[in-house]
This record gives sequence, C-alpha cells and structure tokens, in this order.
Amino acid sequence: MDVGAAPARSARAGAHDAPWFPWALMAPTLIVLLILGVFPFLYSLYLASTNIILSKPYLETEFVGLYQYHELVQDRRFLNALKVTAIFTFFAVFIEFWAGLGLALLFRRRIRGKAFFRLAILLPMVLPPVVVGLTWRYLLYPHSGLVTYYSTLLFGFFGLPAPQFLSSPDAALQTLIMIDVWQWTPFMFLILHAGLASLPPEPYEAAEIDGASSWRVFWTITLPMLKPSIMIALVIRTMDAFRTYDTIAVLTKGGPGNATETLNILLTNIGFGFFNISKAAALSFIILVIIITLSFLFIRVFAKKQLDEA
Amino acid sequence: MSMTQPLPVSPSAPPRERNWWVYVILLLVSFVALVPIVWIVLTALMDRAVAQSVPPQWIFTPTLEAFETLLTRYDMLLYMRNSAIVSVSATFFSVVLGMFCAYALARYEFPGKNDVAFWILSNRMLPPVAVILPIFMFFQTFKLLDSLVGLILLYTGMQLPFVVWMLKGFFEDIPRQIEESALVDGDTWFGAFRRVTLPLMAPSITATAIFVLILSWNEYAFAVFLTGAQTRTLPPAVASFIGGSDIQWNLLGAACVFITLPILLFVVAVQRQFVRGLSMGMMK
Repeated sequence: MDVGAAPARSARAGAHDAPWFPWALMAPTLIVLLILGVFPFLYSLYLASTNIILSKPYLETEFVGLYQYHELVQDRRFLNALKVTAIFTFFAVFIEFWAGLGLALLFRRRIRGKAFFRLAILLPMVLPPVVVGLTWRYLLYPHSGLVTYYSTLLFGFFGLPAPQFLSSPDAALQTLIMIDVWQWTPFMFLILHAGLASLPPEPYEAAEIDGASSWRVFWTITLPMLKPSIMIALVIRTMDAFRTYDTIAVLTKGGPGNATETLNILLTNIGFGFFNISKAAALSFIILVIIITLSFLFIRVFAKKQLDEA
Repeated sequence: MSMTQPLPVSPSAPPRERNWWVYVILLLVSFVALVPIVWIVLTALMDRAVAQSVPPQWIFTPTLEAFETLLTRYDMLLYMRNSAIVSVSATFFSVVLGMFCAYALARYEFPGKNDVAFWILSNRMLPPVAVILPIFMFFQTFKLLDSLVGLILLYTGMQLPFVVWMLKGFFEDIPRQIEESALVDGDTWFGAFRRVTLPLMAPSITATAIFVLILSWNEYAFAVFLTGAQTRTLPPAVASFIGGSDIQWNLLGAACVFITLPILLFVVAVQRQFVRGLSMGMMK
C-alpha cells in the first residue's frame, strides 16, 4: 500500500520528523470521530442496560443487565426484521451486480451516443434518496400512479389481476428491492466499468490467438481479473443496502404490517414510535455486531483473494 | 432486468458488427432509468387538477403554479439556505481535517497505523439510525438540537472516514521525492505541503469534495430527527409533502425538482471529474 517505507530522513530535520507528528496531523479527525463515534457507542451500551422509556418518565431507571437483548432475541418482530433485511440485501445486491456487470461489459463496445447513455444510466444514483422514495411512491400510488395505471392496463389485457406493488404484504418487499435496483445499479456499473477499463489487453490478445470462445474468455479471463473491483463493489453495496433507510422510510415505513420492516426501520419504530430507547439501543448494538461480523468476513475473503493473487 | 445478462465481449470485439441489440438494451435501460425522472419533472409543471387526473395526462399546458405556491406559502428558500450552509460547511471541514489525517496515514510509518486506519473506516460502517438515539441525547445535553452548528458537526464526522480513505489512496499515488526535494531546498514542512503536494492533489480533493457535498445535501435520517422549524434542511422538508391523505402531487413534484436541480446541475457540470475521481479512489 505504501509507496516508500521509510520516513523522509534525507530532508532537513524538523518537527515533521518527530514521532508525534503524524498523530498531530490526525488529531482533529480522531477527536471528531471520538465525539461522534465512540461516545454515542458507549452511551448506547449504557442505555441498553437500563429500562428507560421516554414516554413513561415515572418509571424508575434501573440497571437491567442483558434483559433488553434477551427480550429482543425472542421477539418475533425482531426475527422478522432480520429476515426482511437479509432478503432485501441479498436480492438487491445480487440483481444489481449482474445488471451492473452486464451494462459495464456493453460499454466496452464502440457505441454511438455513449455520453448520453452513460448520463441516463447514472442519473438515478445522483437523485437524493428521499426523492427516489417520493417519486416511486407517486408512480406506484394505487389507481392514479403512472406505473400502477399502465401496468393495470397491461395485466388486464392478459386477463391478470392488477399488480399490488406497495399495498400488498407479498409484493411490497419485492417492489422495494426493484426500486433499490433502479437506484443503485448505476453504482455497480460505475465501479465495474472503471475496473474493466484498467484490465491489461495482453490476455485477451492471447485468447484471441488461441481462438477461445467469448463465453470462455469471460469466465476465465475477465471475471478473475476483475475480482478486486467486484469485491469492492460488493462490499460497499452490501453495507449500504443493509443500512438502507431513507427510501423505505418514505415508501412504506415498514408496512403493510411488518412486511418491509428492516432492522433500521424497526429501530426507529421502537425508539421514536414507542420511545422505548433502551430497547432501541440494544437493537442498535445488535445491528452493529452484525455489521462488524459482515465486514470482517468480507475483509477476510478480500485479503485472502489478494494473497492468492500475489 | 433479464435483458442485461452479462455478455462476453473482449476488447478486440469487432466494432459495429451486429450491434443493433446493444442499442435495444441501452435504450430500454435508459427508458427505465429516465421515465420516473421525466414524469416527476412533468408533474412539477402541472396544475393541481392535471396532476390528479386518471388516466395520466401527457399533454397539458405547463404552469409554474406549483413552484409559486412552494415559494410563497412554504419556507422553501429558508430550507434551501439551511441545506446550503450545512452541506458546504460540512464539506469544507471534513475535507480540510480529513486531508491532514489522510496525509499522515499515507506518508508515515508508526505503530498502530493499520488499526487507526481501520478504526476510522469502521465509523462509516455504523448505520446512521443506530447512533441516532445517543446523538439525539448528546445534542439535547449540549443544546445542539435544532441548530445548524450541530448538524454541521455531525455531517463533518459522518463524512470524515470516507474523505480519509479516498484521499489516502490519492496521496499514496504522489511520489514523496517531490516533497523531499522541496524540503531539501529549505522549505518548511507546511510550505512544501502547500506549494508542492496540494496543487498535485487539487483534482482528487475536488472529486472527493463533490462526493461529500452530494452526500451531505441528500442526508435525511439525521436531519429529520435533529432539526426544527427554523433549521429544517431540504430532505425532511420535501418528504413532508407526502404526509396526510390529500397529497398535492404537483407540489411534491416541484419540491423534488427544487431539491434535485441544484445538485444535478452541479453534477452535470463536473461529471468528468466525478467519474474519474470515483473510479480512481475506489480502485485502491
């Protein structure tokens, strides 16, 4: 990762050679992150060990140990949220990856109007997530929404019942996944496109001389060489899909019923809906543990891949 | 999305040969990507009756009525001012603070370096919603609730991990000999940094700043819980148009245009740097 290993000894000795110097440069960042990262974390831990419900201030604050975690883990609503989050994250990232990779590969061809197509594909990603949520809420509004109206016509033409989108518990999660795909496929496209552009041409030339089929070239050359970019794209997207909040909050708030209640939405519903902040704090800690576990897994796989290649 | 199956293509694929299906796919994808955006913009130009009509009306007399209502009956300009102040300040502070931190991580060897770098990154892994409660209580204690200063501090902290990791990669790309020769010539450290390193870093810093600015401008989860009537930023203000049973779609559309247009114009203006900065920083 480092260009040169030794600090600048050749230069005139000064403050910049002192061992404390890098720490001085990092101090402001570290202080801000301590205030906004570590402090809330510790405070959450404290909250989670008590029984504070803001809407019931008459309750005496007591130390309850691991009671909140114990309650949560047995709560069917929590297990449901865990399942919803897992389904949402997995399918959204899976579809986005293949769609983004397909588009990135298409863009290697000589295409007229490339700039236009690229801008069109990238636009959804640039929109504020709130606007994405509101726009789709409008398009999918029962009866009058643009997509609802035309898809009802289309389905009616084939004698099928009108699609329900966000109003039926069965379809709501699928609809949210498709909206996430609409919004974030551009991101996959962008990263994989850049990754493809940086691949060396030699292996392809060799493959052409050998007369390898393009399908074989894709599986044996493109995919393995693209692995670092693929890993980065998958890690970032999985983390972000896992924490999706804005669009779901605007679109369904977790409904109908609990059909789209992800961990994040459940957390705000408990914390700001019921003001049961101790339970919410316990949940936030559980979410944190899941995220850290996930990222360690990713980093292990990622580091292993790099070692294998070296 | 089945039409975007991965297609094996080598860089030496013959140009313009049986390429028509590529255009069919690209047109379809662009259509899916653009129609929602086009429709929300059209809605912003409808009057109330047209916006509510079933079936959807594609042909109508455009009007700026919705924008006028937004500006005269809602405090949109105040929200926009708040959004601008918060996102520009947070961008400034996070880039300036993060720059030095990234420099230290890229240029110096010291014990615990990798742990520090990873710890900084781990701050970005936290879902905002998971820290919203303690931050809320913290802000309450220090009278930062309902204040722009609090929001600026928060966004600065939120974006710092991202800034540090992006710029760390860029700094590592700059050969250290260039700086060293300036130091040998008798320059101070800061002088060498300012006159030699910074100019080389300018494009990368710009790209990072663009990214941070967009993220801060769009931030919703914290803003909705931590701001009040006077300090509301655009995202929670715009989201509030969906409340109630009688939704005025043309106002909603206009509000969406209102929040997106500044950032969109900005992105189109800097598209090249944006794409380049992204791909360079992420490829580390």
